[in-house]
Amino acid sequence: MNKVSRWLPAAIPAAVIAAAALGVPAFGSAAGARLPEKSADEVLALIAGSSATRFSGTVEQSSDLGLPELPKSARGYSSGADSTSAVLELLTADHTAQVFVDGAERERVQVLDDLAERDLYRNGSDVWIYDSKQRAAHHVVLPEGSGAAPQLSATPAELAEKLLAAVDPTTEVDVATGSVAGRPVYELVLTPKSDDTLVGSVTVSVDSDTGLPLEVAVTARGQSTDAVRVGFTSIDFSAPPADTFTFTPSADTRVTEEELPSGPPEGYAAPDLPSPTVTGAGWDTVVALPVDVLGSAGSSSALLAQLTTPVAEGRALQTSLVSVLFTADGRLLAGAVPVEALEAAAR
Amino acid sequence: MTAAEAAIRTTGLTKEFGRQKAVDGLDLEVPRGAIFGFLGPNGSGKTTTIRMILGLASATRGDIALLGEPMPSALRSVLPRVGALVEGPAFYPFLSGAANLRRLDAADPPSSSRTRSARVTAALDRVGLRHAAGKKVTAYSLGMKQRLGIANALLAPRDLLVLDEPTNGLDPQGTREVRTLIRSLAEEGTTVFVSSHLLTEIEQLCTHVAVMSAGRLVAQGTLDELREVGRSEVRVETPDTAEAVEVLGRLGLVPVAGASGVTAELDGKLLPERVTAALVEAGVRVRGIAVEHQTLEERFVALTGEGFDVAG
Amino acid sequence: MSRAEPVAAPPARAFALLGSELSVLFRRRRTWAMLAALALVPILVGIAVRIRSSSNGPAFLAAISDNGLFVSFTGLTVSIPLFLPLTIGVVAGDTIAGEASLGTLRYLLVAPTGRVRLLLVKYAGAAVFALAAPLVVLLAGVGIGALLFPIGPVTLLSGNTVGIDGFAVRALLLAAYVAVSLLGLSAIGLFVSTLTTVPVGAMAATIVLAAAAQILDTLPQLDWLHPWLFSHYWFGFADLLRDPIAWDSFGQNALLQLGYIAFFGGLAYGRFATKDILS
Repeated sequence: MNKVSRWLPAAIPAAVIAAAALGVPAFGSAAGARLPEKSADEVLALIAGSSATRFSGTVEQSSDLGLPELPKSARGYSSGADSTSAVLELLTADHTAQVFVDGAERERVQVLDDLAERDLYRNGSDVWIYDSKQRAAHHVVLPEGSGAAPQLSATPAELAEKLLAAVDPTTEVDVATGSVAGRPVYELVLTPKSDDTLVGSVTVSVDSDTGLPLEVAVTARGQSTDAVRVGFTSIDFSAPPADTFTFTPSADTRVTEEELPSGPPEGYAAPDLPSPTVTGAGWDTVVALPVDVLGSAGSSSALLAQLTTPVAEGRALQTSLVSVLFTADGRLLAGAVPVEALEAAAR
Repeated sequence: MTAAEAAIRTTGLTKEFGRQKAVDGLDLEVPRGAIFGFLGPNGSGKTTTIRMILGLASATRGDIALLGEPMPSALRSVLPRVGALVEGPAFYPFLSGAANLRRLDAADPPSSSRTRSARVTAALDRVGLRHAAGKKVTAYSLGMKQRLGIANALLAPRDLLVLDEPTNGLDPQGTREVRTLIRSLAEEGTTVFVSSHLLTEIEQLCTHVAVMSAGRLVAQGTLDELREVGRSEVRVETPDTAEAVEVLGRLGLVPVAGASGVTAELDGKLLPERVTAALVEAGVRVRGIAVEHQTLEERFVALTGEGFDVAG
Repeated sequence: MSRAEPVAAPPARAFALLGSELSVLFRRRRTWAMLAALALVPILVGIAVRIRSSSNGPAFLAAISDNGLFVSFTGLTVSIPLFLPLTIGVVAGDTIAGEASLGTLRYLLVAPTGRVRLLLVKYAGAAVFALAAPLVVLLAGVGIGALLFPIGPVTLLSGNTVGIDGFAVRALLLAAYVAVSLLGLSAIGLFVSTLTTVPVGAMAATIVLAAAAQILDTLPQLDWLHPWLFSHYWFGFADLLRDPIAWDSFGQNALLQLGYIAFFGGLAYGRFATKDILS
């Protein structure tokens, strides 16, 4: 047998895999090229008139904030329920959720964790939140006719709304086309005019057919990869099965019935809620809170020391999008600006 | 396919391992119906040749025709008609003898599973292992394993049997039995190709023989042909040694004078009677004359440059 | 004389070798020892929880004392990183090298078994073991769980419950998922096995690769590599315990393993098709 031809059965799959790995993104981006041109206003109108009221899909959130990455704990084993490391995990790790929506009153979010799951069920006025690690469920009965529901994680639609509210004279708005979850989309690209913010651009990808925002991506200044991205990786616009939204706690689940406050109770005063001080405007906004983190760090001081760097005013946490400054005099400053800007605001 | 076609024919068969030639330009021809002895000292390239003939190893150069079909391209159609014992028997020690044969029988594509048990029993019967059919092979003696290996070669009716050292590890009684078995198979029309480093075995069993030495074929033919081709010596008993030397020298021989006569090596063409006539004509007093053929063993030692392990 | 040449062996005969392969595999004491060791994992988990219940440990551990059926899931979680790859490494690493070291390889090939056919049958044998292994873990887990603890409807990760029949379906899906997960490693083992006549070497190499892949999968610096590691989706079996089931990982895992099978199967073919059998 030919010495070369016998290796063909190994070479062919290798070539196919390489072609698939390199070729698919290029193929995907070509899908959006055939869309008719739209202005930014028309894309916003498309979102406002979104016809998608029922759909199901997989949402992925990924972050690349430039924080030190921690090795995953051995999979299949529950790590200690340390809140600081849980926050870190949220910031550095990727998350996947399945989202099901059928009309305004039936929603389901399934956050897919390693060998665990967090769930939000909403079926009419019944809202359940379930955590498989705690084997605990919280039950809330909404008053009749209320629309909004508490969310475990924001859907692209909500994030898009928040970001579009910030479209003001401080921002450059462009429209491009692309493809998300295999569907052609209009990309609304928001670029800050200010040079002082860490945010490079925000891209909202809107399904060209239904007007549903499918992806929000935030790029930090000077970075080529997205710092934060939340978006659908697959979506299906048919009605999800009805039993997706119903939840019946099992016998071994701890159920907590939560009362929804109908309004601020009599004589209610937020006791220690610090009032924030806001300086700057638009993308350069800096928020200051009188919270003494350095003084009360206590047990998590080692982690704090690992994450932050000492600066003249105290200690600073620098990510690619957001900076946080813990001052020695007991204040916390944060903003989408470099640490130097926070230091200037702290003086 | 005609009966005249050779059971095995190789032309220029060569196998190189790196720079070393294990088999070098082998032109082997095994006629149908023969019991063909493949003789050579250990390491002379016999097993490598058998591996190439059976498609286990690829030839560096040269062609192989097995039962008239090219190897290894016709491997799938030819090998079911060939039974083989290659470099000793090999079995799954944790299976019984019968289970081992069933396994190898299942590996033969044309063999039907319905008749498998019957074939396995028949093969075990033929080598006298029926009593041990259910015993795990790990408990078999070396001789029993050898017989089981032969039984494997006999699972189906074969046109050709390739048996590499078939009597290895057998006691004299077992050796005799195997010899009888091979003869009876040959009588049924099966060509048998037996490799051995034992001359006595080949001499007692084979009709044809080929001799390997250091990767090359040094002789090939029927056993009788080989015996005749061998060197013979004429010894003349005479007091007239000087005259005898002169006469023999004139005949083209290279005589050596001894105390009581002259000896000379005969080449193939010169007949002993002519030597006698020439001596008598020249008036040499011949008191005795003898022609001595080399034994086969001496002949093989001369061919291979190595001694044979006659005792085994 | 000439016997009619079977161009394509009838199906019954084509499967004869596979049947023989399976009977050889499952008649070996070693195979049973490995399956017994796998069965021991959930049994030890069950006994440990019975003696002293704990909430910190492998997934599903905390649920065991309420519902014994969870022993099977915990057993699987514990077996996946080490014990299952270990046994697969032994079986897949032994495929060709084991026959070569016994010497039976040459008799199979002169029988004649086509070399491609032998590779396919050997791989199929390893694949059957890859299915049997997680099934044994699950069944042993169900058995010991039912023996030591109360059993009842099973709470899925989503908080909803399924009955015993629903649990049985999910458990079978789980076994299928884990079996598929191990196919890539089996293909690697098959390839390594064609490189040597020392089965222990092929086994060790396969097991080391399984461990290496899992270590690489935990290093965040190599996250671009993670989706390409054959062990990447090993723990994705949990997606089958959700309601509704998240099929994405099943599909991605199957595709990844298929890639490994095609590539390493191809390498095994390239190596074995013309290899000189000198053992």
